[in-house]
Amino acid sequence: MKRVDLGVFNVIKAVQAGKFKGNHDLKFTLANGGMSVGEINPAVPRVFIDAVEAATVLEMRGITKRFPGVVADDRVDFELRPGEVHALLGENGAGKSTLMNILYGLYKPDEGEIALKGSRVSFASAKDAIDSGIGMVHQHFMLIPVMSVAENIVLEVEPTKAGVLLDYDAAVEQVRDISTRFGLVVDPNAKVEDISVGQQQRVEILKALYRGAEILILDEPTAVLTPQEAGELFSIIKSLQADGTSIIFISHKLNEVLEIADRITVLRRGKRIDTIPREGATEDGLARMMVGRDVLLRVDKPAANPGDVVLEVKGLNVQDERGLAVVRDVTFSVRAGEIVGIAGVEGNGQSELIETITGLRHADTGEISVGGRRITHATARRMLDAGVGHIPEDRQRLGLVLEFSIAENIALHDYPFPPNSRWGWLFPRRLAQRARELIKEFDIRGGGPQTSASSLSGGNQQKLVAAREVARDPKVLIAAQPTRGLDVGAIEYLHRRLVEERDEGRAILLVSLELDEALSLSDRILVMYEGRIVAEHGATANEEQIGLEMLGGRRKEPAPA
Amino acid sequence: MSTYAGTLSRSRLSDPKTVGVVGIALGVLAFVLAIPPVTLRSAVWPVVIGFVALVFGIVAISRGATRVGGGAIAAGIAGTALALLAIQSSVSNLDQVVDASLIAQMLVFATPLTFAAVGGMFSERSGVVNIGLEGMMLMGAFWGIWGADKTGNWFLGVLIAMLAGGLLALVHAFFAIHLRADQIVGGTAVNFLALGITGYFFVQLYHGGNIPTGVSQIPSLHLTSASSSTFFGDSFGNLNYMIWAAILLVPLSYVVMFKTPLGLRIRACGEHPRAADTVGINVYVVRYASVVLSGVLAAMGGAYLTVGYLNTFNENVTAGRGFIALAALIFGNWRPFGAFGAALLFGLSTAVALRLHVYSDLASTLFQALPYVLTLIAVAGVIGRTIPPAAVGRPYKKQ
Repeated sequence: MKRVDLGVFNVIKAVQAGKFKGNHDLKFTLANGGMSVGEINPAVPRVFIDAVEAATVLEMRGITKRFPGVVADDRVDFELRPGEVHALLGENGAGKSTLMNILYGLYKPDEGEIALKGSRVSFASAKDAIDSGIGMVHQHFMLIPVMSVAENIVLEVEPTKAGVLLDYDAAVEQVRDISTRFGLVVDPNAKVEDISVGQQQRVEILKALYRGAEILILDEPTAVLTPQEAGELFSIIKSLQADGTSIIFISHKLNEVLEIADRITVLRRGKRIDTIPREGATEDGLARMMVGRDVLLRVDKPAANPGDVVLEVKGLNVQDERGLAVVRDVTFSVRAGEIVGIAGVEGNGQSELIETITGLRHADTGEISVGGRRITHATARRMLDAGVGHIPEDRQRLGLVLEFSIAENIALHDYPFPPNSRWGWLFPRRLAQRARELIKEFDIRGGGPQTSASSLSGGNQQKLVAAREVARDPKVLIAAQPTRGLDVGAIEYLHRRLVEERDEGRAILLVSLELDEALSLSDRILVMYEGRIVAEHGATANEEQIGLEMLGGRRKEPAPA
Repeated sequence: MSTYAGTLSRSRLSDPKTVGVVGIALGVLAFVLAIPPVTLRSAVWPVVIGFVALVFGIVAISRGATRVGGGAIAAGIAGTALALLAIQSSVSNLDQVVDASLIAQMLVFATPLTFAAVGGMFSERSGVVNIGLEGMMLMGAFWGIWGADKTGNWFLGVLIAMLAGGLLALVHAFFAIHLRADQIVGGTAVNFLALGITGYFFVQLYHGGNIPTGVSQIPSLHLTSASSSTFFGDSFGNLNYMIWAAILLVPLSYVVMFKTPLGLRIRACGEHPRAADTVGINVYVVRYASVVLSGVLAAMGGAYLTVGYLNTFNENVTAGRGFIALAALIFGNWRPFGAFGAALLFGLSTAVALRLHVYSDLASTLFQALPYVLTLIAVAGVIGRTIPPAAVGRPYKKQ
């Protein structure tokens, strides 16, 4: 594709102003800020057509942003065409969010310039960006839970009556209008805290559209969604695109990017590696660009060699806080030296099952035993002593004490025992020594024993949790979504490590919401639906079949537009 | 027509919540019948009505409205018991405790609390805990009477009070918002600062002695002639301007907080400041303005105390009313009418407690603790839940 400079819009303006009329029969239509070319006379010089086709609605040039100790973005170029979905791909910490926060006016770039529709802009605040037609849906939603959908959408641009009063009815009406226009169904009067995460995301999108956004930034939009909701989001994105909205899609998930993007810009450690069209892009190629080396996306593992049954669950029933049955009559076992995966859509009882096995939740009926020892109603401490290791699904809430150092986090289980302590006296030097060993063994990067866990990246936090749990030499290792939110490099490491632990003879129970992951790692797969185990498969399972079983055996309904 | 009304009342009555609320009302009624102006001397009606309240409560609970039903049962039992107590006592004693002027007195005690509580609402709804209300009130109390004394004009005195309260609030805002200090510690410091400032200037300007008599006082609004004595005249006919101002402040602040874009933005800052920031609301400006406004309003409450009611000043004249206003704010679930209701309840209990001296000092003292027991119960979530703004007390740091 031909490179076009900022000047193209000035050319177009000149054409519109009639300076080229007579020679070139050009008609331009400006719709929703996007630009399309009407009838183009064949006599028009080729360069013009190229220029117009490649017209950028947004252009960021040489953006550099430094934070103390790091260069988050290093002379990054980024351009967006009208009506395209442009994916911004990179590992965690590659500078994607920083770049978009600069575009949205939340950060000031140290160097570089931004041009919107050909004219230079500089945003001092998010308000400036909003006023220029840029909207952003943050990864963590910026919604006020106790307020209604309509109130959230109109906040700061409220319709008024009698000059000073908030015209709530008009707000509801306007939200209804805009949501029917873009096909984003929400109830304007519902409180945000009462609607699903997927709907909350729609509210965020509507919030941007209500403010007249022509460029929409979606920051890792699928991270919080179930697969169905992600499917709905993709159809929303397509309809917005058809409406002329340009979309920047931030992600580190390769399959999504390949599904939705027209073009893909890859960032690595603050630098732009390349911008490529989707056609011809492959997962392997993108992964290599992201990480900077070849990445093993598929897990390469020898056949399992299962031994004795280590973890046995019989007829387990569990209720949630509201007294609803969430785990129903679950029976399964995990042998030494095998990985058993539990596949299922989020919220089908997997979390509760894990919590019960690790002593965090009370079982109603049924039996859990580890190595022949019954531990059904044991406390978490006794479960740990019985040989259960737990990599929890929420590492920041359940896995780590973020304010503690790496050394302290590693000693969370074993602090009361020698050599960590004796007669109630803690030996910090021994903790640090132990931490140094594990940091080396598990390749935890970003600090030493005294570094606080909060300052580590997500991948290294997860390695820290894994290090602690594996180093205790558990009989059973329970890994709940061990790679959630991690980038490909860290995922590759953790996958390899889990297989290694299996080959060491541990029994591993893996819960994953990503069917790909469950399939590639597991030696056996259990499918959970509405609290029951509805199917069991061997190592060579049919992906489509499992997908159906995860949805209760019914074919997935097409997402409502 | 009659059938329509019939179905309407039947459908309303079938709602267990309504049943419970009616039960509570009946429980209160059982007690009200035994005191002036009705002063029933027979135990029959209070007992019967109290019993009916009890039944309503049980019905409500059995149909799922446990909280309201529990309230109805409690109201039925307490109403009957209090009514029986009232019937035991002499009519002359009763008349001394309960008469039309009780309402006026309740309003007198409730007014400073209302100003401060509504002020506190603005601050806390914007996300800043304002435990310094007490100090801001005290500033208003002292500088208000100083202003009224020096200028000879109560109106200027109140204006000076508002300025002083606003300035102290600005100090609190600076520490809480700009320096991101702990808001509880900062507020407590502000209280001691106010105690120190007013104490010092009281000694300095008035030589520790008394404020001279005859300082310009906030006048009262006379709605009825002084000679005639009616229930309305005794209760509402002769109230201070500031009391009326407090009563007007409540709906006004409700409209501002819940019916204007400004209120929506204030609440947004207190619930999720980053969300407010990302749509272009300047969280710092909103919080500064809200805290200063809370100081101005609290100071008006303080000024009423000295310039309007006592017409003098003593060291620490507010005596914890700022904290009680804070309790009223929480009891009232951070809402103007709720806070006003709580302030009235506290005012009533203070007024009744003063009058209970005709029975015994012990009863009076004990009764004064009642509203705070209620506050504890309310905060613990027994009578409906009180939910503070989500981001209250948390300093906001721009990215």
